[in-house]
Amino acid sequence: MVGSNSNIKLRLSIRYLIAIVLLVIMVFPYLYMVLNSLADWSQVDRKLIPTQFTLRSYQWLFTGGETGITRPWIHAFFNSVFVSLVSTALMMMFAIMVAYALAKLKFRGRDSINNFVLFHMFFPAIILIIPNFLIIQKVGLFDTYWALIIPKAMSLWGIFMYTNFFKAVPDAFIEAAKLDGASDFKILYKIMMPMSKSITTVVFLFLLMERWTELLWDMIVVRSDGMLTLNVLLSQMFGPYQSYPGPMYAGAVMLTLPIIILFIIFGKKFQEGMQFNLK
Amino acid sequence: MEKNNNRLGWLFASPYLIFSTVFFLGPLIWSLYLSFTNWDLISPTYDFVGFKNFTKALGTPGVRSAFWVTYKFMIVFVPIVTAMSLFVAVIVKGLPKLKTVFLIGFFLPYLSSGVVASLIVKGFLSHTSPVQTFLRDRLGLDIDWLGGSFSALFVVAMIMAWKFTGYYALILTSGLESIDQEVYEAAAIDGVKDSQRFWRITLPLLYPAIYTTLILSFGATFGIFTEVYQLTGGGPNYATNTWQMEIYSQAFKNLQAGYASAIAIMAAVATFISIFVIRKILEMWGKRNGWV
Repeated sequence: MVGSNSNIKLRLSIRYLIAIVLLVIMVFPYLYMVLNSLADWSQVDRKLIPTQFTLRSYQWLFTGGETGITRPWIHAFFNSVFVSLVSTALMMMFAIMVAYALAKLKFRGRDSINNFVLFHMFFPAIILIIPNFLIIQKVGLFDTYWALIIPKAMSLWGIFMYTNFFKAVPDAFIEAAKLDGASDFKILYKIMMPMSKSITTVVFLFLLMERWTELLWDMIVVRSDGMLTLNVLLSQMFGPYQSYPGPMYAGAVMLTLPIIILFIIFGKKFQEGMQFNLK
Repeated sequence: MEKNNNRLGWLFASPYLIFSTVFFLGPLIWSLYLSFTNWDLISPTYDFVGFKNFTKALGTPGVRSAFWVTYKFMIVFVPIVTAMSLFVAVIVKGLPKLKTVFLIGFFLPYLSSGVVASLIVKGFLSHTSPVQTFLRDRLGLDIDWLGGSFSALFVVAMIMAWKFTGYYALILTSGLESIDQEVYEAAAIDGVKDSQRFWRITLPLLYPAIYTTLILSFGATFGIFTEVYQLTGGGPNYATNTWQMEIYSQAFKNLQAGYASAIAIMAAVATFISIFVIRKILEMWGKRNGWV
């Protein structure tokens, strides 16, 4: 009996060891990125773990170094923050509103809309990119914030997630609130929203992350330097600045770190929400 | 009461209805119309060319490769990501401590932008990189990763696998944890050997979760763009030319909006049919084994 007990302990420690090794391998590319952004330029992409460090890459990013061309990195960073936050806020707001109607309001045509949302969700979106670009151009929104925000203001996946969640909320809550004289807006705001905290965290993080790292759309609807999002700017610099890998890594850190920090802050809530969704 | 709800329902649903009319139904019809024209994205006039775009597309290496490259990606990416995420899930499942930390840690790659992932990989595989130096000096291997058709495809597939493993592991872990421990005990009494445990008990009970990750990973291959755009531009010799890459090049580089619309429609049809067939196959596979 004692033998099997220590056997279990041994097995468990082996599992922990494997898990740690796996985790290190999975996170290594990030570590490589951060270290290279701080590494002395003679060591960038030459050492697995650099030994000499400098802030030159970050400084270069903002001054343009010897090329003297200052690229709007900070501006692009704020563009990314602004566009992602506004877009995600709209996606959340609309998803909650629409989902409440689809899950809890009985109205004529609801089933048709529900089916249409599913059809829309599974429709290959690839077909829409050219005409959507043309719409933006035709109404004169090309190269504006609106071009980055409006077509990305609705998330079908968000609607789908919230509809499923709201459907699981018993009608009795709503009926009780109605008897107390609460309006539907109030029910949505005071009852449904507080109940959906964990799923809201999950949906918010997924949508924000997707918006933050969007490339194709952002790449085609804006052109001028002041309008670029950080992801697009980094992508543009990818080719021509290959001889300056250090600053590229610094830009990559700028693009990656905020979302990771946000994610780690919400980590626990996120896992709870995921577990709910997967059940 | 009933009438009131009707108005409120339509009011609440109206943002979606407006959005889908402007950015889905309208564009869909427009796209169909454009695919029969020779419009170049700039000039004010264009002609109606019938099915010429479609017949032309079928003969070009760009479109042919886009069609096949997706399935090549599937063959490499789906088994790797499924095996990796299953392995991670089995290791992490039921760890008494730090389980959340591990799962969140594995999930972090999913947050990376394709641009950043490509940048890191490009640096990692550059001529002077520690990996390449090691391979060259110690093993005598001088591999041009992004220059070879299979290795370029493999590199992109590995980036995708790195990105999605933690996400799918999260799904599989909660699938594993919903399996009652008593099932294993009962099976042990019935004489199921430890070596058969995974195949005879875990896999069947985990099938719904595996089905989900398989559908997600098959679906993900149809959306590959950023990594390919950054790393190979679809090359070498169309070896990584995905549908999105081909459409982007034709529409926004070669400025052939009409032709690109035709390709987009072909891509949508290929995607739709493929996903449908894959779903059916997976469902049949599950049913035949009595897992569903």
